[in-house]
Amino acid sequence: MSSFEDADTEETLTCLQMTVYHPGHQQNGIFQSRRFFSREKLPSSEVVKFGRNSICQYTFQDKHASRVQFSLHLFKKFDSSVLSFEIKNMSKKTSLIVDNQELGYLNKMDLPPKCMVRFGDYQFLIEKEDGESLEFFEIQFILSTRSLLQENNWLPQKPIPECGNYLSCSTQGNSPIEMGENEW
Amino acid sequence: MERPHTVLRVSLHHPVPDPTTFTLVPPRLQHDISPLLVGRGPEAHLRLQLPHLSRRHLSLEPYLEKGGSLLTFSLKALSRKGCVWVNGLTLRFLEQVPLSVVNRVAFSGVQMVVRIEGGTSLEAFVCFFHLSPSPLIYRLQAEETDEWEGVPQEQPPPGPGPQAPGPLGFLHGPSQPSPGGATEIQLQREPQDRELC
Repeated sequence: MSSFEDADTEETLTCLQMTVYHPGHQQNGIFQSRRFFSREKLPSSEVVKFGRNSICQYTFQDKHASRVQFSLHLFKKFDSSVLSFEIKNMSKKTSLIVDNQELGYLNKMDLPPKCMVRFGDYQFLIEKEDGESLEFFEIQFILSTRSLLQENNWLPQKPIPECGNYLSCSTQGNSPIEMGENEW
Repeated sequence: MERPHTVLRVSLHHPVPDPTTFTLVPPRLQHDISPLLVGRGPEAHLRLQLPHLSRRHLSLEPYLEKGGSLLTFSLKALSRKGCVWVNGLTLRFLEQVPLSVVNRVAFSGVQMVVRIEGGTSLEAFVCFFHLSPSPLIYRLQAEETDEWEGVPQEQPPPGPGPQAPGPLGFLHGPSQPSPGGATEIQLQREPQDRELC
């Protein structure tokens, strides 16, 4: 029998796409150790750490970052057949903002399928694409040269528009603009 | 001044008396704030010498509830083949539950009771291990009764939704406080598995 016939049935992998932005990246190469666009396959039982320390799978070349800034933990909900992610703040000094929610040290929460994660000047737009495999998942980094908050008109407190996509439905012009009384 | 550590008092029992099973279990283990791994493999922090145990069978993960000041723990099953029974629920690969103050856990024949004593240190926690020669969890034997005889007290309530642990296992001895896990663990799955893992 050929190895093709013998091989296990291929399963699609859950992919976590992380679009990253930091204003100092071009000057200081904060994400320099990152391979952008390529997908990395990781075991789902692994805790994925982000931070300055070399124990982290994904490091930031930035003295302002904590040794371990945050971690991602995979789990399976009882009523689901796909992987879910939790994010935990591992920094004692810096809060982690997930959409509108602020996480202190060791606080954790389930990661929504699409969300903005921020700390300091760092911005991560995280989008999850479900797959079948429970054993492995993929992670893909994309570098943004523009602020993701501006680029995406990130207004997480607003409901998702009918087209279901923040990227294609600009809310610019619909939001009230703060101005002084004499600015008319 | 050093803050007191959260203490996990862990009692362990295996029904088959094999002196090698628990030889690598230390009496005391201080661990940082990363998940504590239990399994057969060299990377496990608590290593048990059991052939059917996975290299990484389960993890105990410390975290802080929002606004909380004491460490809370969740238990996650990491074995792809085996399962972990926790307070009446059977966990499969990557399923997890928050732990209560007292927790009954079973996996690969091992019976484990974890009692959590809160401390204010957020740097590390300490485990004290106790090897028990007698069972920690027991299953009620099914008794033949007539239809109109009494319904067992711990029978799960009928209908969908969260179920009480059921007549599977209880802490040995009446002095143990109630784990109280049934109300805290809000899960929507019926406990179909009728055996301890």
